[in-house]
Amino acid sequence: MKLFSKLSAIVASSALALTGLVAIATPAKAADCTGTVAIMAPLTGGVAFIGKEQSGFAQVAIADVNAKNGSKIEFKEYDTQLDAAQAATQAPNIVANKSVIGVVGPAGSQEVLAVGGLFGANDIAVVSPSATRTNLTAGTYPSFFRPIPNDGLQGPGNARYMVQTLKAKEVAVIEEKTAYGTGLAKEFLAEMKKLKVKATNFAVNEKNADYAAVVTRISKTADFVFVTFQDAAKSQQVAQELIKQKKKAVVFGSDGSDQPTFKTPGTYVSGFAPDVSGLAVAASAVAAYKAKTGATSITTFGPPAYVAAQVIAEAAVRACAAGKTGDRATVLAEIKKTKIKKTILGGPLEFTATGDVKGGRFYIFQTQKDGSRKSIG
Amino acid sequence: MDYLGQQLINGLTLGGVYALIALGYTLVYGVLQILNFAHGDVYMIGAFLGFFAMTWLGGPLAPTVPVALMLLVMFLIAMMGTGLLGIVIERFAYRPLRNSTRIAPLISALGVSILLQNGALLIFSPSIRSYDTSSYIPSTLGFSVGELTIDSVRLGVLVLSAVLMILLTKWVNGTQVGRAMRAIAYDKDAAVMMGIDVDRVIRWTFFVGAALAGAAGVMNGLLLRGVSSGMGLIPGLKGFTAAVIGGIGSVPGAMLGGLLLGVIESLAQGYLSTNFADTITFILLITFMLFRPNGILGRPMMVKV
Repeated sequence: MKLFSKLSAIVASSALALTGLVAIATPAKAADCTGTVAIMAPLTGGVAFIGKEQSGFAQVAIADVNAKNGSKIEFKEYDTQLDAAQAATQAPNIVANKSVIGVVGPAGSQEVLAVGGLFGANDIAVVSPSATRTNLTAGTYPSFFRPIPNDGLQGPGNARYMVQTLKAKEVAVIEEKTAYGTGLAKEFLAEMKKLKVKATNFAVNEKNADYAAVVTRISKTADFVFVTFQDAAKSQQVAQELIKQKKKAVVFGSDGSDQPTFKTPGTYVSGFAPDVSGLAVAASAVAAYKAKTGATSITTFGPPAYVAAQVIAEAAVRACAAGKTGDRATVLAEIKKTKIKKTILGGPLEFTATGDVKGGRFYIFQTQKDGSRKSIG
Repeated sequence: MDYLGQQLINGLTLGGVYALIALGYTLVYGVLQILNFAHGDVYMIGAFLGFFAMTWLGGPLAPTVPVALMLLVMFLIAMMGTGLLGIVIERFAYRPLRNSTRIAPLISALGVSILLQNGALLIFSPSIRSYDTSSYIPSTLGFSVGELTIDSVRLGVLVLSAVLMILLTKWVNGTQVGRAMRAIAYDKDAAVMMGIDVDRVIRWTFFVGAALAGAAGVMNGLLLRGVSSGMGLIPGLKGFTAAVIGGIGSVPGAMLGGLLLGVIESLAQGYLSTNFADTITFILLITFMLFRPNGILGRPMMVKV
């Protein structure tokens, strides 16, 4: 009897272990494929419209992936106000939330600098739809990715466009002293030096409110003023002040100025994403976003957030298929293997070893008389 | 020379706005000896009221009344609204603490400041509003003398600041309330014994100080960039700095301090560094606090022993 009990126990425990092994190795059913995508975005504050658009598009992407795969991936919003300190406050909450499998965001480079290390140490993938500072993909943050090009392309690209296409002979730069603004200005100035075009730099504090004194310093012979603000109202103020002080220079804003408040006709702005309004591949996502939020127009900030969320959610589905539901390290490994033939941005998506998009480029727009933007390069 | 002239114009315009904010600090300090740190947020509310008045009249793209009338209404609504807000703040945040320790109203002021900022965030949403001035006042409209240019908005701000400062000086020196205000600032107890209604005069002081901040808020909206709930902090601190430089408690001192601060800031940006203008401003504040705490026109405080 004793022997029987022992044998029974061995058989039972073996069966249990076997069942467990089978359970581990068996891919999860689609309905059991769960996880939470954290959306870090400026949902309040001066640029709340960016956060709302990014969050809206990310939610549409998650819903699309769930509809396609039968998964039950959820999202949770974390407000950063485009502020590094606020992002650093939210990051530990995201790490502590065990259901989080990846992060869409943060929006700003300075925020990534503040939280990238913590997420990397916890194997949480961070896919930012708008952080363009070049050194974010220098290897310091192994879990960082972006579906958009970096400032290493934007700064020199804008400089070359200004000189080679717009025939600029002299340029002024207003460098806003932020992680984003300083990095971009540095890239731009280095390219101008290579192109042997005179470029004068004016560094300004982020809290500066009146740009009249700075505009007074800009030479009357300057052709363009390249600005690296993240608040387009400042770019608009500089453009208007140039007109008031009868200076011929035209404002050329970086992607931070790609907002509706910057609307002086004739000005230029570069964007890290194309205008997807006319792209057939983006039509359904744009329609879903507009229906969900009631928005009547979109900027270039939203669509890359769709791609960022799509990347994480699809990687999570692949992790589920490998029997690793909700495992952060597996999701991270799957994101590295991302291969999308055509995203809603109109092109394919693959990441380099350091998390940059392969073959990325910036787009140049010119503001028209009615304030709309025309893609010109 | 033209370059210097242009920077002086930039500085004087900015200084006019600082001076109007500084006057609010100085009036309240002169009468109650308290620092009303909610004043920068009253300025923010003024900017919002001006914006909503403009929207009510059709907005920047399609004003339903002549532009001059729209501007007048914007200023009147902002000044009346903030003036009344000033009275409410005095009644509920300062009057109950009038006989308490000196730190109590200061803490109350910080509380009101946070309340106003967060209230504005909740009610007006976090979006930045733009006065979009160039839509109804063309940026090309203005005067040029040689290389020197002054656009109509800057000129208007400069003239209006000067008019408001002159009117305030006349009000303080030439009206019964103004005289009562000076009497209270000189010796409150004696003023009470002379039959002056202190509460009424203090109400007037808060009304006028806050109304000037409201006007400064509209000027900021017309002159500079967007209007948002956090916009009051730095101009509020600069208004305070201007009041200290001029001599807190002194009306001409606040005007002088504001204009001086604007010019120094502009010249610092023009000749020294575009990046460190704020640093220079606050170094100036510390320097005055250390070496001339009574400011340029302030009088040393006499204490009975």
